[in-house]
Amino acid sequence: MPAEGAEAAGRQPLPEAEPLAGDELLPCGRPLSRAWEEARDGKATADSHTTRCPYCRQAVDGLAALDEASRALRDKERPPGHSLAERVINAVRAEVRLGALLPLDDSAHDVRIAESAAARVLRRAADTVPGARAASCRLTATGNGTAVHITMTLAAALDQPLPDRAARVRRAVLQAADHELGLAVSDLDLKIDTVLDPAVVSSGGPTKRSGQR
Amino acid sequence: MRDRTGHPPPPGADHLQHPAPPSLAEVPVSRNNVAELPDRLLAVRAAEGDDDAFAVLVRRHTSRLLALAHHLLGSQADAEDAVQEAFLAAWRQLPEFRHDASFGTWMYRIVTNRCLNILRRAPRALPLDTVPEPTAHDPGSSPPCVAETDAATAALAQALHKLSPEQRACWVLRELHGLHYEEIAHVTGTSEQTVRGRLFRARHALQEAMRPWR
Repeated sequence: MPAEGAEAAGRQPLPEAEPLAGDELLPCGRPLSRAWEEARDGKATADSHTTRCPYCRQAVDGLAALDEASRALRDKERPPGHSLAERVINAVRAEVRLGALLPLDDSAHDVRIAESAAARVLRRAADTVPGARAASCRLTATGNGTAVHITMTLAAALDQPLPDRAARVRRAVLQAADHELGLAVSDLDLKIDTVLDPAVVSSGGPTKRSGQR
Repeated sequence: MRDRTGHPPPPGADHLQHPAPPSLAEVPVSRNNVAELPDRLLAVRAAEGDDDAFAVLVRRHTSRLLALAHHLLGSQADAEDAVQEAFLAAWRQLPEFRHDASFGTWMYRIVTNRCLNILRRAPRALPLDTVPEPTAHDPGSSPPCVAETDAATAALAQALHKLSPEQRACWVLRELHGLHYEEIAHVTGTSEQTVRGRLFRARHALQEAMRPWR
């Protein structure tokens, strides 16, 4: 995500200046755009010329009024987005994507569940394991009776051995598939593909965040 | 924020006495506790149709995107419409989202494109939102100073509106939202060199407009 303020500037040194349309040369021979970029975009390689040259300094001082007004515009109180966020969420919920329909393990073979609804329950089960959180969860009917194949990717913290953690997730997911949903699981593929900050997920319940990530 | 799962925290877990302020999600933790997950994980879940995960992303990013749309369009009502449409488009396009940028940058791109299309279609008269409103009295500053700051800010907002939409987008993303050249190039679908040029010309025009306030 972008930095909060404009102080954090380009980490990369800027490319060697090609002439920009509308640029002008300062009396010292430097382009005005270069003086501004070095001063405002934190060019790490700003040379001593810029700091010593009175023309370059004067060019940068000319931005003072603009800088001050920019700061005021940036810090201006704006209406909070809460009500808009809730409106957007309602509009999205009206457009739910159900995904495929999967068979439940029922002798009559006529009860089905939407993949997205089942995946939600299974992700929540995985989330109860401390230090693990589910990412993707896909379910496919194997075509063999009511058997369903589950593929889940996990994010896990590295503060404990992964096999142990994966085993706990497996137990939690299979139990939810059986007890909460009534799925006949043929197999469950678990893949850990993301590292989590342990401070964010130290417990399986609502977590206590410690400071900024 | 109660622990509903009955799992005791593992030994050595950092169990703070005070819950952190809900700065990230700006809302109470949802029932299934996804409010503190990283964007990437939430985007993966949302791509598979999990609207609870998407709701967290919406709450997390709305304010920033609304500010961006307002800076670009100059009107609160238009900004709200643009952000709502951008989120709905994102919800529909998420299954194709390849994570080559962060979710936040991807949303910046969708909102910026939407705003630029609106501006190119119908260049409008100066919106009324740029007229300074009386501010609450700030004990740290005398009224004339407040008035002057307001007038300067309004002058900048007006000058901003006279720029081409492309120059305005570059300047707003850099100076008000702190994006780097590389990110701005990605968001606006152009090259870093083009971004440098637009940013320079925008600064030049705005500096001229702000001359009376030196």
